[in-house]
Amino acid sequence: MTHILLRGRDIPDIWKYDVYVENGGYEAFKKALSLEPKAVIDEVKASNLRGRGGAGFPTGVKWGFIPQSEPVKYVAVNADESETGTFKDREILETNPHQLIEGALICAWAIQATAVYIYLRGEFWDVAHELDKRIEEARRAGFVGQNIQGTGWSCEVYTHLGAGAYICGEESALLNSLEGKLGQPRVRPPFPAQKGGGLYGEPTVVNNVETLANVPWIITNGAAEYKKIGTEQSAGTKIFCVSGHVAKPGNYELPMGVTLRELLYEHAGGVPGGKAMKAILPSGGSGPIIPATDAVLDTPLTYEDMSKIGSILGSASIIVMDETVDITWVAAKVTKFFKHESCGKCTPCREGTYWLDKVLDRIMAGQAQVSDIELIDNVAKNMQGVTLCALGDFAANPIIYTIKNFRDDFMQHVQKADIKPASKARQAAPAGD
Amino acid sequence: MTNTVRIIINDQTYDVPAGMNLVDAAKWYANDDIPVFCYHPKMEPVGMCRMCLVEMGTIEKDRATGQVVLDENGQSKVRWMPKLQTACTTTVSDGLVIRTQTQQVQDARQNVVEFLLTSHPLDCPICDKGGECPLQNLTMEHGPGVSRMAFSDKMRLDKHVPLGDLIFLDEERCIQCARCVRFQDEVVGDDVLAFHERGRSLQIITNSEPGFDTYFSGNTTDICPVGALTTADFRFGARPWELTEVPSICPHCPVGCNISLSTRLDRDFGGKTLIKRVMPRQNEQVNEIWICDKGRFGHHFSRSEDRLEDPLVRERSGRLFAKSWTDALAAAAEALKAAGSDVAAIAGSGMSNEDLWALRQLLAGLGSRRLGAWPPTHAGAEVVAQVGVGQGTNLGQLGRGDAVLVIASDLEEEAPIWRLRLKQAADRGAFLLVMNARPTRMDDFAAQTIHYETGEAVQALLALKDSDAWKQLAEAHNLVIVAGAEGLSLDGSRALAGAAANILLETEHVGKPNSGLLAVLPGANAMGLHYLGFTPAATLDIMQNPPKVLIVTQADLLLDDPTAAHWLAKVETIISLDLFASGLTQQLAAVALPIQSFAERDGSYVNGERRVQRFYTAQGPMGQALPAWQALSRLGEQLGQGTAKLSAAAVMVEIAQNVPAFAGVSFKELAKVERQYPDVGGKDLYYGGTAYRNRGGLGIQIPTAADQGQTVARFEAAADEPPKTRGKLVIVPSVRLYNRERTFRPSALVHARVPEAYAEINSADAKKLGIQDGDTVEIAIQNAPALRVRAHVNGGAPKGTVIVPRHLSDTAAPLAVTVGEVSKAEG
Repeated sequence: MTHILLRGRDIPDIWKYDVYVENGGYEAFKKALSLEPKAVIDEVKASNLRGRGGAGFPTGVKWGFIPQSEPVKYVAVNADESETGTFKDREILETNPHQLIEGALICAWAIQATAVYIYLRGEFWDVAHELDKRIEEARRAGFVGQNIQGTGWSCEVYTHLGAGAYICGEESALLNSLEGKLGQPRVRPPFPAQKGGGLYGEPTVVNNVETLANVPWIITNGAAEYKKIGTEQSAGTKIFCVSGHVAKPGNYELPMGVTLRELLYEHAGGVPGGKAMKAILPSGGSGPIIPATDAVLDTPLTYEDMSKIGSILGSASIIVMDETVDITWVAAKVTKFFKHESCGKCTPCREGTYWLDKVLDRIMAGQAQVSDIELIDNVAKNMQGVTLCALGDFAANPIIYTIKNFRDDFMQHVQKADIKPASKARQAAPAGD
Repeated sequence: MTNTVRIIINDQTYDVPAGMNLVDAAKWYANDDIPVFCYHPKMEPVGMCRMCLVEMGTIEKDRATGQVVLDENGQSKVRWMPKLQTACTTTVSDGLVIRTQTQQVQDARQNVVEFLLTSHPLDCPICDKGGECPLQNLTMEHGPGVSRMAFSDKMRLDKHVPLGDLIFLDEERCIQCARCVRFQDEVVGDDVLAFHERGRSLQIITNSEPGFDTYFSGNTTDICPVGALTTADFRFGARPWELTEVPSICPHCPVGCNISLSTRLDRDFGGKTLIKRVMPRQNEQVNEIWICDKGRFGHHFSRSEDRLEDPLVRERSGRLFAKSWTDALAAAAEALKAAGSDVAAIAGSGMSNEDLWALRQLLAGLGSRRLGAWPPTHAGAEVVAQVGVGQGTNLGQLGRGDAVLVIASDLEEEAPIWRLRLKQAADRGAFLLVMNARPTRMDDFAAQTIHYETGEAVQALLALKDSDAWKQLAEAHNLVIVAGAEGLSLDGSRALAGAAANILLETEHVGKPNSGLLAVLPGANAMGLHYLGFTPAATLDIMQNPPKVLIVTQADLLLDDPTAAHWLAKVETIISLDLFASGLTQQLAAVALPIQSFAERDGSYVNGERRVQRFYTAQGPMGQALPAWQALSRLGEQLGQGTAKLSAAAVMVEIAQNVPAFAGVSFKELAKVERQYPDVGGKDLYYGGTAYRNRGGLGIQIPTAADQGQTVARFEAAADEPPKTRGKLVIVPSVRLYNRERTFRPSALVHARVPEAYAEINSADAKKLGIQDGDTVEIAIQNAPALRVRAHVNGGAPKGTVIVPRHLSDTAAPLAVTVGEVSKAEG
C-alpha cells in the first residue's frame, strides 16, 4: 500500500519543500483555511482520529474543548518521543517534516491558536535544527507568520528542545518544561485545554507528532475516506515500531486491525534463528507484557482488542523477545528505566521505583528469597492508581505482569539464590549515624 | 454572604462555603483531619505526597430533570470514582461525597507512609523535629509498624547541608513535599529554593548567593513536615518536649508579630530558664503564622554579655560603681529633687505601655510634661490615631478590587511581615502602587512604581491626583496607604502622613476595616509612645533646649544619633534606664538602672495597626534588673509620689482608667482568644506546621477617631522645604533589617548577613568626587564625628543623594535627613 504518514518511503525526497508541494503538500492547509475553524474540528471529529501518543483520546473532541472566547491559545506538538522502543515520530520528523508542520497549522487554524510549539526530546538536536529550516521554508511560502494566506490570522511556529526527560512526554510536564520549569506533571483540572491549565495558563491543544501528521490527509480526502481504513473504533493507519528479536525490525505503517501475527511474521520477518517467540511488550516499557501465545498473536492491533487481552495498544512500540530471554532481567531493566525517569513528585512512584530497583538488583544477583517476589509484587500494586500521572502505573506494570505471566523466571533466580547470613549483610552496611 | 454548597463527609451532611478546599472544609466543619504532608492551608495545593487520598463520588442526578437519583432504599445514589482521589486538589462542590475512614483509604495512607519511610533515616532519637514531627505522628497513626525495606537498601545522603547561614538541610530526612520551595515562591516571592535532579535524587537546593537569601527562611522549618530543615539557632539545642511555651510579642518592629518563646532550664545558662528558640504564634490579623528571621533569631540580646546587671552610680572620680537599688534610686531621687521641674524624659520604642505610664507619672509628679519619643524620625502616629486602618483590618483579606499605596519606605527592611502580606495582597489582585525616591524590593511586586526626587514625597503624593493611578486608588473598594519617612524630616513625615490621610478622607477610605493609614513607625511600641503622650516633637525640643536632668529609658542615643554627644553635653544629669552597658550609660549617665527586656517580664505593646498586645514573662532577670515600670515607680516612691505599683497588670488598670485610648483594656481582655482559620497548632502538626496556636491572646485594636464616628478634619500637608544643600549632598539615612543595633548584635549567627557599613552614592556624584565603587569614603555632617563607610556606586541612590543605612557600624549614621560632605578617605 502507499503510506499516509511514512510517505518518505514512497517519495524519498518529500522532506524537501518543493517535492512536498509537488505531491499535494499544503493543499490541505489551504483547504482548511477556506473552511470555518469549527468545520475543520467537525471533520477531524468525524474521522474518528485518536491520539497516537498512547492514550488514544479522540483528537477532534480534544480540539473542541478549546474555549473560543479566549484570545490567546496554543498548539503544543509532543515530539518528546521517549517511550522505550518507539521511533515512529522520528521518522516522520526526518523524512516527512512538512506534513507535521501542515497538520499542526491545520490544528492551529481550527482552534485559532496564536502559536505552535514543537517540543522535541533533547536528543533530537539535529532533527530540531533541520525542522527549523523546514519551518522557515513554510514561512517563506506564507504558511507561517503574519496574516497567513491573506486570512488576517497570524500564527508562529517554534521548536523547543527538552533536556532529556521521559516524563516530559506527559502533556502537563511537557508544558511545564516548555515554560522553563521543572518537568513535573501538573494537577488536573484545570486541563491543558482549559483556561489556567495550558501553556502559560492559556488553553492549549497537546497532540502527538503522528496524530497531527494524519490531519492533512483527512482534510484532503475527507473523514469518510479515512474511516474506511482500519476498524470502526480504531480508524486509520498506525505506525508500528517493531524491535527486539525479529528479522526485520523497523517502522511499519499499516491499517489498524492488523494482527500481531501478520505484523511480526509477515512484515517483520519473524524470530530469527528459528527460535520460539516468548513474550511481547506491545507498548514499550510502560504497557503490560504478554506471553506470545496463539491467542495473543491473533489479536488485531486496535485500541479495543488489545485491552481485551489485558494489555494496551499505547504508542504501538512492539518489543519482541524470544525464548532465550530471562523475563526477570526484562523486569529489572525496565524498572531501572522508570527509576531513572520518575520525576520524583509523587511519593509512591519516587520511592516505589527506587525500592523495586533495589530488590530486583538483589534478585538478579542471587541474593533474594521467594518472599522478595511477593514483596515487589505488592509494592508495585501499591503504586497503582495513586499517582498524579500515569508513570506510577507504567512503572508498576512491568513488575505486576512479568510476575503474573512469567513467575517461573523469577523463581529460578530465588531458588538458586545464595543468600548471605543476615549478620554479614548487617556488617556490610555502613554504620548508622 | 458567600454561597454555600452541600457536601457529605462520612455520611454526614455539611454546608460549607463554595470554593473551599476539601481538606480545609473537612477539618473546619467536620472535625475530620485528613492527613497531609505537601498540602498547606496557606499555599496552593500540588497533590504530590498522595497522603490525602480519599474515596470520592458525586450524588447522581438525572441529566434531563436535574433530580437526584435514588437507589432502591430511597437513598440518593452516589457515583463513586474508580480510584481514590487527593482531597487537597479538590474544591468542594454541591453533591460531593467523600469517605475518609474506609479500609481502602486506611490502606492507601499506610502505603504512602511506608513509601516515605523506605528512604527516611528514622533517626528520630537525634532529630530536632522528633516529638513535634508530622511524619512521626502520622507514622504512629497510619504506618505499617514494621519495615519491609532491607536496611542495606536504604539511601544514604548528606545530613548537614547548609542552605545558608541560618538553615540546614538533612537530605536523608527530606520527603520532597516542596513546602519550603513553594513558601519561598508563593508566599514570599523570593524563589531562592528549588528542586534539583529528579526521581529519588530530587533534592532541595538554594540558587541564591549567599545561600537561602531571604528574610523569611525560618518559616520553612516550621512548615517542613519532617526534620529536614532546621535552624542553625535551634538544631541540637533541645527536645521539643522539654520546652515551655511562653506567648510573647516580637520587640523589633511595628508589625508586632505574635511569637512563642520556647524556654527550658538550660545548661548553657547555669541551669536557669533560657530562650531556646522563637516560634510564630498564630494571629491571623497580625502575622498569620509567619515571622521574619530577625524576629526568630534576634532574641539573643536578652542574654547578651553587655546586659546591664547592677544599678550604677557615677562618683566624683567620674567612675561608675555598682550600688544597691536603694542607693542608686536615692542618688537619682536626689538629682531629680535638685532639678525641680526642669526635667525631661526620652523613651525608646521598646518600652512597654506600663513602663511609659510609670515614666509619665513620674514626670507629672515633678511638674514636667516633656516626654520625648525615641527615635524622633516619624511623626505619623498622631495621624494614625485619627485615620489609621479601621478596626478589624486584616491585610490578609486585601485582594481584587482593593488598592495599596506604599510611600517613602523600604518595607522589606522596615516591616518585613507587612511586606510579605502586602505582596500576597498584590498576588490576590490588589493594585499595589509603590512610591519612593529610590528603588526598593517592594517595586518587584508593584503594579506601578513611581520614583520621585529625594525629599519630594509629599509633592509626589499631592501630584497623584493628576495621574493614571488615581482612579485605581479612588475607586478601590479598600485602600490602605503605608507611609514611611525615608528622606523626610520630622515635619516632612507629618506632612506626608497628613497628605496620605487627606487622600483617604477624600476617597472615603477611613473608619472601616481594611482601609486607612499604616505608618511605618520605628520600633515595637511607637504607637504606645503616642497614646501615652510621648512625641518625637518633644524629643526635638529636648535636643534644642536640654533640661537639667534627662531620664533616658531604653534609648541608645549615642549609637542612634551622631550629634547626641553634642547636645547631651548641655544636660547636667543623665539618669539612664538601660538594657545594656551602652555608650550613654558608660560615658554619660550619672545614674544607670538595669531594666528587664521583653522576655523577662510581662507587659504590653501597641503595634502599628494600634493593636494592644500582651507579652508574658519567659525567663528570669539578668542580675538585679527590674522592669522599667517598677524601677520608675519605686523612684517615684522615693520622691513621695505614692506607693510603688506591684504588677504590670495593676499599671494597666491605671492606664485604662486614665487614657481614653485604653478604655476597656486589661490584661485579662488582652489574653482572650478565639478559634482562628486556618486551625493550626493543634495535634495535627502536619496541617499547618509547628507555628503555635494562640493561647496568649489576640489583643485589642484601639479604635481610630474615624472608627468612633468622629469627623476628622483635613490635615496640614504642606510640602517640606527641600534641604538647602549649598553645594553639599543630601544625606538620607535608611533602615536595614539586619544591622548592629544592640538588640540584634548578639545574634551571632546572622553576622555574616549584616553588611559592612556603606553608603549608596549616585554615579554622577561619585564621578564628580572621584569616588569609585568600593572606595572608603568619609561623610562629614555638622556636630558629628565623621562616618567612614564603603562607597556603593551601583544605581541605588538618586542624583545629589547619599543613602546611608543606619546602625551598620559603631559610629552613628545620621538620625534624620541632613546635608553633608562626602570625600574619598585616605588609605
